[in-house]
Amino acid sequence: MDTDFYIPMRLDEVESPLQTEIQKTLGIDIETCMECGKCSGGCSNAHIFDFTPRKVIQLIRLGAEETLLTMDALWVCLSCQLCVDRCPSGVDIPRIMDYLREKAHREGYRPSRPAVALFYELMCSCVERRGRVSEAPLMLRFNILTRQYLKDLTLGIRMFLKGKLPLTAGKVKKMDEVRVLFASWKRRSVKRG
Amino acid sequence: MNEAMTGKEHTALVIGGGPAGIEAALKIARGGYRAVLVEKENEPGGIPLKLFSSFPRWENPSDRIGWMVNDLKKNKQIEISLETTVESAAGTDNGFNVTLKNTATGDARTLDVQAVVLATGFRLMDLSAYGEYGHRIYPGVLNSLEFEERLREWSRGLGKAPQAVALIQCVGSRDRSKGYPYCSKICCMYSAKQAGVVKDLFPEAKVYVFYIDCRAAGKGYEEFLREVIEKKHVRYVRGRPAKVLPEGGRLLVRAEDTLIGIPVEFAADVVVLAAAVVPHPETAALAKMFGASIDEYGFIDHDPRSHAKCADRVFFAGGCGFAVDTESALSQGAAAAAEVITLFNDNG
Amino acid sequence: MIVAYYPGCSLEGVAREYDRSARLVCDRLGFGLQEVPDWNCCGATAAHSLDHELTRGLSARNLAIVGRMNLATVTTPCPGCSIRLKGAAMEAKKESGAPEVMHLLQLLTEAAGTEKIASSVIKPLGGLRLAAYYGCLVTRPRAVARFDDPEQPRSMDRILQALGAETVDWSHKAECCGGAFAASETSIVVDLGGQVLEAARQAGAEALAVACPMCQVNLDTRQWEVESTRGVRYDLPVFYFTQLMGLAYGFTNRAMGLKRLLVNPLPLLKRKGIL
Repeated sequence: MDTDFYIPMRLDEVESPLQTEIQKTLGIDIETCMECGKCSGGCSNAHIFDFTPRKVIQLIRLGAEETLLTMDALWVCLSCQLCVDRCPSGVDIPRIMDYLREKAHREGYRPSRPAVALFYELMCSCVERRGRVSEAPLMLRFNILTRQYLKDLTLGIRMFLKGKLPLTAGKVKKMDEVRVLFASWKRRSVKRG
Repeated sequence: MNEAMTGKEHTALVIGGGPAGIEAALKIARGGYRAVLVEKENEPGGIPLKLFSSFPRWENPSDRIGWMVNDLKKNKQIEISLETTVESAAGTDNGFNVTLKNTATGDARTLDVQAVVLATGFRLMDLSAYGEYGHRIYPGVLNSLEFEERLREWSRGLGKAPQAVALIQCVGSRDRSKGYPYCSKICCMYSAKQAGVVKDLFPEAKVYVFYIDCRAAGKGYEEFLREVIEKKHVRYVRGRPAKVLPEGGRLLVRAEDTLIGIPVEFAADVVVLAAAVVPHPETAALAKMFGASIDEYGFIDHDPRSHAKCADRVFFAGGCGFAVDTESALSQGAAAAAEVITLFNDNG
Repeated sequence: MIVAYYPGCSLEGVAREYDRSARLVCDRLGFGLQEVPDWNCCGATAAHSLDHELTRGLSARNLAIVGRMNLATVTTPCPGCSIRLKGAAMEAKKESGAPEVMHLLQLLTEAAGTEKIASSVIKPLGGLRLAAYYGCLVTRPRAVARFDDPEQPRSMDRILQALGAETVDWSHKAECCGGAFAASETSIVVDLGGQVLEAARQAGAEALAVACPMCQVNLDTRQWEVESTRGVRYDLPVFYFTQLMGLAYGFTNRAMGLKRLLVNPLPLLKRKGIL
């Protein structure tokens, strides 16, 4: 965590370019947050978040970019939408979390939960190659790359025997239409990186 | 029904028999004129009749309003018309010719009046948009007016004694998303009162108020709040609850204690929702009838130069203008009456 | 009514029984489902977690294909897909118009209606006590989903009741099951999915009905793990609501793919005289 938090923060010196960025890029004005805590109160994973949704908004106000891009909450947020659905100001917290996660991933911050990031990356690369996701190969690759060779082995076998895990899936024919989207993503990542 | 009314020739129609309307009628009569008070229910008194205790002095609201109603009934310059609604109004040279309908018998009659006071009061918003709290879905979840009734029952030894009560502030208020953006003004105070009453009745019960802010802007209000917290030991948690979950026959309130920033839960037997104050639907129709304007929420708008006036010869007071406590309703009733008296004096 | 049909990746794999039962049931109700040709993955959780523009692009491609099909409506049984497609359609509408995107529950509720659904019932599911579980993305975020009530949803309950089943009132209808973390952070699914199962059990449900492949997989395939973590026996079969519709419409349990459920539903269904 930032050492800035261990000495009194000089509020008169606080700058938050991140807040402006979020306003400009996403059109979300976090000043509408009235700090009531309803978001955190209903957050599905509040009990395991290092920073609950209300705190995330406050951290943005305080310009704590480093904290936000390294926090664990980024990687265990479920995008369940309970926060934004109940927020009296309609602050789109899931969108902000996505934005922060995207930014952290793009700028090379090490995710606090590498397995989660890896899972997303594997799923995306599956789509990049085939246009669709095939669960069985995805699970196998994930297990191998996270060195959990025996994870869910019994479960996997049971599911396979019930025909729930076909080893191949359909493939998109016009793959160039899909590849171009990924190429564009890579360009975006390099440009800002 | 009164005998033949006395008083000077001018008559004001007061629509609504709550504290604002009653005070307006009494003061108009004091000024020497006549008032016809119409009330849609079968007794005058309004919201105070439903309340158990009051802030900031823990008085019985029915007592005070009861004395006022007695004065009302004895006053020969005031005609009280219960179970009556105003069907229509036509402008005249010096006022309105109104058609009143008795909702019990269906009979209608017309009346010439030279001024109107709208005092139709407020009600609590319907909470079906707040499914997360389960009002009318989970038994034990009540809105604040329903809870006043429960307090009365408990005070009479009826019903099951609660082990824990949770009061949730700002349900529908301060909500731009699916409620009303405004603050309903009176809830912080009445919730403190309700919480204090529970503790008086059941000292062992756990009583928690979930708040965002504690708005105690009035004479004796902050001291009242501190008394509830420090002397009656009601606990206050800063955090707007996200959900009420029925669990094991009780109600689990889920919130964040924002002062520390940890998720918290509270198991209650009764959950009280301080629902937003909204005008009665009739107010909009009446405003239109008498040429007054209403804001986007249906509350009466006042004339820029007078807080009690809303149209030519039309005045208003109390909850139909915005959320109001009993003291303010009475003051506004008196202010509207002063306007009526001045108008009548000027017209000779 | 001819409707474009977007299955989504999981309906080809782990949720195959959802796909099969959905198609059979829609056919019975007179919906002509035309699969979106050469559809691509909507991106689900992974894409929007890493890059929003990528998600938008993936969804836009699908909507463009639907556009060329000349069909006004596209339906999908997967809420993850429906919410992504809905979001993309909302964006597209501002410029050039886009098809109406409906989750399957929405299609059946709005385009068929409970009366029609009830009229096709041959074998009512009498006495079956179900907890209708909606999960997150069928109704949220409300500005995008625009369907049913996010806090107290009732669409699936009504459909199940139209089939002759009983639905319970319970606290976790629309709480999260743990979402996409089944593989990458299993403990989250065991925790949240466990809370859902516990709430269903407390409400007296005999089984759950779901409208999402992720919810089904989480609550079904991880139920054993939940049981051993909590030390409680649940034995709550987790049906796709279309499987229940199919049973009520007289389809065989084989056609409905009931054997694919890990928590075996056959004993319960036999006890209730449904099989």
